Amino acid sequence: MSGAVVRATGLAKRFGPLAALQPLDLTLAAGETLALLGPNGAGKSTLLRLLAGLARPSAGVLEVGPDGATRPARRAAVGLVAHATFLSPQLTARENLTLAARLYDVAKPAARAATLIEAHELAPVADRAAGELSRGWAQRVAIARALVHEPRLLLLDEPFTGLDPRAAEKLAERLATQRGGARAAVLVTHELARAVQLATRALVLVRGQALAVAASALASTPALESAYRDAVAALEAAP
Amino acid sequence: MNAFLAVLWKDLAIEWRSRDRFAAMLVFSLLVVLVLYFAAPPSLDAAQNGYVPGLLWVAYVFAGVLGMNRAFAAELENDALSALALAPVDRGFLFLGKATASFLILGVVQALTAVFFALAFTLDLWAVAPQLAAIAGLGGLGIACAGTLLSAISVRTRYREVMLPLLLLPLLVPVLLAAVRATTQLLETGSLPWPPIQMLIVADAVYAIVSFLCFEFVLDE
Repeated sequence: MSGAVVRATGLAKRFGPLAALQPLDLTLAAGETLALLGPNGAGKSTLLRLLAGLARPSAGVLEVGPDGATRPARRAAVGLVAHATFLSPQLTARENLTLAARLYDVAKPAARAATLIEAHELAPVADRAAGELSRGWAQRVAIARALVHEPRLLLLDEPFTGLDPRAAEKLAERLATQRGGARAAVLVTHELARAVQLATRALVLVRGQALAVAASALASTPALESAYRDAVAALEAAP
Repeated sequence: MNAFLAVLWKDLAIEWRSRDRFAAMLVFSLLVVLVLYFAAPPSLDAAQNGYVPGLLWVAYVFAGVLGMNRAFAAELENDALSALALAPVDRGFLFLGKATASFLILGVVQALTAVFFALAFTLDLWAVAPQLAAIAGLGGLGIACAGTLLSAISVRTRYREVMLPLLLLPLLVPVLLAAVRATTQLLETGSLPWPPIQMLIVADAVYAIVSFLCFEFVLDE
């Protein structure tokens, strides 16, 4: 796949008569962070779930990870932070991280969980049941969980939801430092300032149709706001 | 193998802490036995009556269906089911972990139900306990294998509580037929009858293999 972490050609998803995602071509290289922007119901989460391997495309070709990867190998390349936290509520935060490490066949799962707990400052809640955690703490555990296997592609669906300002800044710093590295990321957000801060490219989705935003629009929030409004208007006017 | 053990540990740890599924299955199966006890004529000689072992299997199957309905319900909270689906493993091993946990929980319920059943119907099951455990185990394995697959299919449907019994009970007919026949002949002769045991083994093998192979696609949206 010549350095690309994601290559999609004609990727589409239909739910019965509803076209949740119209045919989309997308290539994402290591070190890139793609901001996915758009109103509610635009198909952003659907695209993320397709990239994660949780849903099968109705049409098109999708390659994630190494060339000719099997479905399990593709899933190994992906870490997903979704609206739901994916945490088993009866297990503690530490147990959830250890379980994830075991599912991803990470060496020394307990040690990996301990490392993540330290790195994400989860010690105060590490041994509390996930079901008892506040939304913010649960989101922090969910982010740590998505990184348990050091994925090549990180998919983030509004990851700042529920985070306090300090935790949000920590996450933003973490995402900013990965730019130019071996990992690619897709960030779904309604906060255009975050997109400007973190993304190297942006894509606007409306009713399943995608339009790329010029890289120059990511120079400032007002520039992105203007480009975003133009893109939404163009896509809404499209047949 | 790691994934199998991880899922098995997770399900048993969750059940050990909450005991939700176990308590519901046990209470339900004991109530079924109690209802059957009151429904039976007072003159019934359970040791001589061929249909009594069938009553035990009615309790087992109903408890099994109830348990299988709960097998994936816990995964809906926080969409933990997607966490399993994301795991980079052959999803057949996730099936094996879930099915083994259900099999073990059902096994404990079956053992306690058999004790209560023996007391209610004044049957001496102790003399044939190992053979009865073998039959119950084979029957329970069929319920766990077919039930895990169908529970994973039905859990995302709107009417999952109704859907699972509708799908599962017809599929369990071969298991139920063989298990009832084996139990009846065991109580009559005191030894394991091979033809129904062979039928149970074949049914279990078919359910296990088909479920293992299909699980990859069942967890997709």
